[in-house]
Amino acid sequence: MVFESKLNILILIGLTILLGTTGSRLFKKFKIPQVIAFIIIGFFLGDSVLGIINKQMLSSFSFFNIFVLGITGFLIGGELKKEIFEKYGKQFINILLSEGLLAFVLVTVLVVLLGNLFFDNTSFVWALGLLLGSIAAATAPAATTDVLWEYKTRGPLTTTVLGIVGLDDGLGLVLFAIASSITFAIVGTNAPAISSVFLHIFYEIGGSVGIGILGGLTLSLIVRKMSDKYGIITFSLGTIVLILGFSKLIECDVLLSAMTAGVFVTNYIPRKSEEVFELTNELMPTLYILFFTFFGAQLNLKNLTLPIIMIAIVYLIGRTAGKGLGANLGARISKAPKTVRKYLPWCLFSQAGVAIGLSILASQRFPGEIGNSIVIIITTTTFVVQIVGPLAMRIAITGAGEAGLNITEDDIIRESKAKDIMDTTIPLIYEDMSLTQILKIFSETDNLFYPVADKSKKLLGVITVDHIKNSLMTRGLDTFLLAYDLMEPVIAKASPDLPMVEVQEILSRYNLEYLPVVSAKDEVLGFLERKQISRKISTKLIEIQKHAEALS
Amino acid sequence: MIKEGELELKDYIDEELISLLKGKKKEKILLELIDSICKNKEIPDHKELKDAIFYREKLMSTGIGLGIAVPHVRIKGIKDLIVAVGISKQGITDYETIDGVPVKIVVMIVAGEKQHKLYIKFLSLIVSKLKDREIREQLIEAKNEKDIYRILNS
Repeated sequence: MVFESKLNILILIGLTILLGTTGSRLFKKFKIPQVIAFIIIGFFLGDSVLGIINKQMLSSFSFFNIFVLGITGFLIGGELKKEIFEKYGKQFINILLSEGLLAFVLVTVLVVLLGNLFFDNTSFVWALGLLLGSIAAATAPAATTDVLWEYKTRGPLTTTVLGIVGLDDGLGLVLFAIASSITFAIVGTNAPAISSVFLHIFYEIGGSVGIGILGGLTLSLIVRKMSDKYGIITFSLGTIVLILGFSKLIECDVLLSAMTAGVFVTNYIPRKSEEVFELTNELMPTLYILFFTFFGAQLNLKNLTLPIIMIAIVYLIGRTAGKGLGANLGARISKAPKTVRKYLPWCLFSQAGVAIGLSILASQRFPGEIGNSIVIIITTTTFVVQIVGPLAMRIAITGAGEAGLNITEDDIIRESKAKDIMDTTIPLIYEDMSLTQILKIFSETDNLFYPVADKSKKLLGVITVDHIKNSLMTRGLDTFLLAYDLMEPVIAKASPDLPMVEVQEILSRYNLEYLPVVSAKDEVLGFLERKQISRKISTKLIEIQKHAEALS
Repeated sequence: MIKEGELELKDYIDEELISLLKGKKKEKILLELIDSICKNKEIPDHKELKDAIFYREKLMSTGIGLGIAVPHVRIKGIKDLIVAVGISKQGITDYETIDGVPVKIVVMIVAGEKQHKLYIKFLSLIVSKLKDREIREQLIEAKNEKDIYRILNS
């Protein structure tokens, strides 16, 4: 430990959130997923470098990690609607089995081949190969969903990735249980019978699913007629935490329990569940900062020896190749869309909580050299894939054209500037135009407000339909009334680069129905009408949704 | 504030702002009326009013024919409509009117920036009143400001 930590937990949490979010903003400029920023900051704060976040602190946060993992599982489950299972079910199974099993086989074989060069003990090498192979099957759901969430993705690749990362945790558990029992047989002591191994797998998966269904049913019954947001979010969180608690109590898989609850809720109360998941999702940005920073802090890269480094490299090669080739093979077999076949292999690199959890389990079941080696190898490789994985994923989702498709009207407003939304086709009314000429323009277009400019297009004022109405009520003025006489002064105007959020703020602050967009020289460039802003944003949203649907 | 339908000239025409014009040229008589308004009413900026009136005339002459001119502007800081009336016995030949008839009756209207509705209604009211030939003749033949005030409010 470099610094003796005198920080209390609250200072630590505050510091972590602020540093994490600052770092992620910096990384965003270089188009690097924020999760990498959190992990790197955590790594520097952790025991490996500064020692500000130490082991004791981390252990007091173990409940928090389970909580975040549980909510992630619940949200992933929420994506798995009945229609998704009907449409992608076969595809999920094919891809899951091929990527998981191929990663398992390749890692086992490569570790055994290389291990034999470094170590004389064959049973040790096989134990290492099998256990590492089984851990390789799992993919980190939190890191994966964080990237999907950050880039607001939508489409077949996103759906497949969510399905796979949600399910291959289960596959990882099954493979780990099998590998453990074989390892027990190889290394010789206290080996449980194969029947009891399978019984345990059945118990763990069955128990997790059972708790998930019960929890999901309870939550659905509570919130289905609830309308207040506060009630929905508190009951949802309460139920998720209970699910996690009971799952831990009977030693089942927390992620699988929470995911089952999510699947149940989304299918049992489809319409209401949208609100449940939307509100729960709002918690994630802050939770993920802490989760991944703590995750980075717990990565300890000390005690690395050459054989361990070599095996870690082989593990990475085997896992990457296995998952990549397997995902591609599974996608081909199930005739998945081209984007899934091409880009899915890039989306399954992340490994985190589940892999580290299994490595710790291995160290408990096989204390000594096997357990220690597995923990170090998994920690080291996790650090690497957690940096590479999100980057690869960003490339994949961008390449597949799915980034930015899962957005709301608010997102469009947040990301747009005045120039993106303004109406540039609005006719300009010159100050010396007569009422007759103005009436002609009004009759040919459907705007309610028109900018008035001088000959050099410099904005002078605005004419509204109301002004014209007033003029029509009078007699004998149409020949000598000009736009100059009819226009009203401009209260506020926007530059083309003004963010739409600020445009909306100006509109509501001055209670305006329109905002002219002008250049630095005050020349009229376009016009924003409140009603047309909403229409244009809705059209943009529909276009994006259509594009997302077309991808599948 | 005057309600719609209740608009009457007498509410806005001030006897002190009525004059028998001395000038023979458009520029001169416009300045006479501007000075008259500025002397009698609280105008925040004399120059602004002058610039606005001349700018508007540059866009299109306010000589609407039948010997009538209605120079008008809306400017910042004016709380209520201000109307100045000037009669030129000899007529102003350089006013650039639609029908080429020299201008003898000039009604200058200055309104606040946001008095759009009142401004248009008043313009309409005064124009329709002055289109009555008898009233026009009475105004041109009026001997003094008092008579002009009486005729307009009749």
